[in-house]
Amino acid sequence: MINLPHKPSASPHVHRNCGCGVHGLSRRNVVLAALAIASAPLLRYLPAHAATSDVSEVAPGVFVHQGRYEVQSAANSGDIANASFVVGSDGVAVIDTSGSAKLGAELRDAIRAVTNKPIKYVINTHMHPDHVFGNGAFKQDNPEFVGHYKLARALGTRKDGYLAANAQMIGEDAFAGSEIVLPTLAIKEPATLDLGDRELLLEPQPTAHTDNDLIVTDLKTGTLFLGDLLFSVHVPTIDGSIKGWLTVLDGIGQRKAARVVPGHGPKTMELPAALEPEQRYLSAIADDVRQQIAAGKTLEQATASAGFSEKDAWKLFDQYHVRNVTAAYAELEWE
Amino acid sequence: MTHSINKLSRTLCGVALAACLGVLAAAPTHAQEDLWPILREQAFGDRSIAEGDGVVVLETPQKVEDAALVPLTVRVPPHVKDKLKSLSIFIDNNPDPKVAKLNFGPAAGAGGERSFATRVRVDNFSHARAVLELDDGSLHMATKFLAAAGGCAAMQAKDPEADMTGLGKTIVRTFEPALSSNPIWSGQVMIKHPNNNGMQLDINTAKFIPARYVKEVTVKRDGELVFTLDSTFSISTNPNFRFTFAKGETNALEVTAVDTDGASFDGTTTRQGGS
Repeated sequence: MINLPHKPSASPHVHRNCGCGVHGLSRRNVVLAALAIASAPLLRYLPAHAATSDVSEVAPGVFVHQGRYEVQSAANSGDIANASFVVGSDGVAVIDTSGSAKLGAELRDAIRAVTNKPIKYVINTHMHPDHVFGNGAFKQDNPEFVGHYKLARALGTRKDGYLAANAQMIGEDAFAGSEIVLPTLAIKEPATLDLGDRELLLEPQPTAHTDNDLIVTDLKTGTLFLGDLLFSVHVPTIDGSIKGWLTVLDGIGQRKAARVVPGHGPKTMELPAALEPEQRYLSAIADDVRQQIAAGKTLEQATASAGFSEKDAWKLFDQYHVRNVTAAYAELEWE
Repeated sequence: MTHSINKLSRTLCGVALAACLGVLAAAPTHAQEDLWPILREQAFGDRSIAEGDGVVVLETPQKVEDAALVPLTVRVPPHVKDKLKSLSIFIDNNPDPKVAKLNFGPAAGAGGERSFATRVRVDNFSHARAVLELDDGSLHMATKFLAAAGGCAAMQAKDPEADMTGLGKTIVRTFEPALSSNPIWSGQVMIKHPNNNGMQLDINTAKFIPARYVKEVTVKRDGELVFTLDSTFSISTNPNFRFTFAKGETNALEVTAVDTDGASFDGTTTRQGGS
């Protein structure tokens, strides 16, 4: 495993993380945060990370950048999700592009530090902003933008909301130039992409984390890119179907892979152990919520208690857990 | 009156447009025009409305977790003995601020705490209001502020196909009170329906996904009216209502619902929930 040294000169935006941000800025606290920034511009945070130009080669020709376990903020400029690329003899495929055009550009710089081969494919594992807003940085390479066949619809309907919310969380400056780039290649059935001496297998999934999850496998090294089908450390977020997700995880657990790359978590993990905490978390919610629905409890009652046994097992639990229970309740009450 | 309606529709167009452009999500509350005086005049003319007098209580979450699914409960405490005439729920800054209006019937019940709960979409920071009309014609209002900045994202379906599957399936439940002497029972109606608001562009067809939502729900107990409810797309996907009603003979609930496409759905009590 090699760690590429971060070259500050590669990034024209070294002051991006200048420390005037606020920890744990949530979508819902933007006003408070704005007030906090205005009234107390203290240097509370010094950047220790090298943003998306910091990548590691986790297997021959397979590079991963690890995002932080945080919500998007001015302090982290949206660098919260893992982003990867795979180098073949004919070209490069990028798998998720991080949360802004600037982070996408830094990832592109990291690719260019490794190889000058053409960037042929930019694959998004699903629709979420922290995985897609770097896409624009790769338009100059004229790649195929690749995603689940439901990705275009999902991005199309959410575009304005995603742009506004992320500009607000990350800050207009750090988010500048970010755009939604729709897929040019829609994957409805399993398909392979040829990078020259190595193929990537793309498998669209039924509704799980979202309704547009795509599993990417580098067949050469047996590396599975699971996108946000796999969270580690960062609490999972349900934006699709809790039942569907548990089913998809059962299927993944049957697979053999040299390693898996989560959407949030360490650069690589191993099956099936990597899945277990997430399966335990989702099952705890599903079990508790089902019990409460059967007992006639309301949504509000369920959100006050379901799945709280998992509280200490995850980062960002307070930010996302109640929302997860809400989604689970609204789904499971129809069983 | 005409002037206010015109002004209202102009303002609403502005709100809808701004929401679609994502402008509101970026500029919460302060820049917003206060729509309540207009809404109020349109709904109640110059009638006086008592605010915060304890006749009606509105409960909303302290922290909105999912702006597409915000639980909202209206309670009429037991010390209020009057029969209920109507209940109007507003979210001022939603594209359609008139969330729901209930007109109560003889089986709405009295002699205990009465309540109505549903789940709403909140497009932007806004006041939510419950205006209760008692049998004597007096109006009483409770207000809560919803700090939710869902923007257009609040209106997105997680899984549009799943939302259309089994459209119209209606589940009706009743809940017996803990004390058998309590003259008030509660019931629940769930309707499988996407409640599309017509504001989403489908990238594949380059057309807006047509608005289609449940607009009218009638609930009867043993053939007597509990309430009729006029609703809008401010109600979340899969409309869900919990309410109280007067204990009757069989306590069987009969529900009919109509959506904006004219499709009608019905359901009767299929199961009794927990206590």
